[in-house]
Amino acid sequence: MAQVPLAIVSHKRQVCSLYKRALRNLEAWYDRRDVYRYRAVQMRARFDENKNKDVAEGMRLLASGQKELFETKHFQPRNFANSPGGCAFEREVILPDWVLDYWHPLEKAQYPEYFAKREQRKKEYVAWWEKQYGKPDPSDLGHH
Amino acid sequence: MSFTQVARSCGRFAAALNTVRIAKTVVQTQSRMMHRIAMPAIGSQLTQKQMFTIRNYSARNTLEEIEHRVLKVVSAYDKDSRCRWQTQSLRSYSAKPPLSLKLINERVLLVLKLYDKIDPSKLNVNSHFINDLGLDSLDHVEVIMAMEDEFGFEIPDSDAEKLLKPADIIKYVADKEDVYE
Repeated sequence: MAQVPLAIVSHKRQVCSLYKRALRNLEAWYDRRDVYRYRAVQMRARFDENKNKDVAEGMRLLASGQKELFETKHFQPRNFANSPGGCAFEREVILPDWVLDYWHPLEKAQYPEYFAKREQRKKEYVAWWEKQYGKPDPSDLGHH
Repeated sequence: MSFTQVARSCGRFAAALNTVRIAKTVVQTQSRMMHRIAMPAIGSQLTQKQMFTIRNYSARNTLEEIEHRVLKVVSAYDKDSRCRWQTQSLRSYSAKPPLSLKLINERVLLVLKLYDKIDPSKLNVNSHFINDLGLDSLDHVEVIMAMEDEFGFEIPDSDAEKLLKPADIIKYVADKEDVYE
């Protein structure tokens, strides 16, 4: 679920992304579903008629499409609740898993079955790691 | 006027008011008593049998019937049912319906079946969208958007390009929603 782009995005993916953003933009403008569908089919037809153009023409069309999207952007687009800009964005904070390892032993003793299973799983994970990547070098262990 | 004079005159006024009130209550009690007294006089005009039917609400007044009726009333107002509305929380938090892998599977396949470019007879959990079902990449974008709308969260493009089978989508949604069974 990496949000950071790790590679140069291909032309095909840029077009797909533009198509998706264009549809979401139409969805924001036309709140009636049937009206939105009509506009979406028209948008799809516009994308389909340029399907077999060469790369240079495609890049030019992509740039003009992005410009058009920027110019027709909705002033208050609809977002999903947990997405950035949504009404419940970052409302629920999910603690990282390692926090449980720093519980006090008395607190851990209140859930003996879970923590026994957790220790077992940690051992299994270490075994899996060593099988996958080999034993760690002793000089790498420990702090600097 | 000194303070004591004021107090005295106030007290006198209060006493006068009290006498009025007492007189009023006496009149009231008398009228009430007269009403009480009048009742048996009306009752005596009725026959004994009619009196009996007026006083009894249930004709079947066996011991079991009375016991049953009393227990019914008591059970309607027992401690549990009273506590139920007392402990009812005033806030209603909305939450998503609980998901299971089976439910996610059904919902994903239903969305795909309703998509007009997919042939439902060919559709399978492991069928590839582009190779098996003959969709192109823009159709795939539409499928991913339908999944976003179905499950109510955004699927970023970097993840969407890996979701090429219904099984991948099911696994992705289950991971996102912390569903493991």
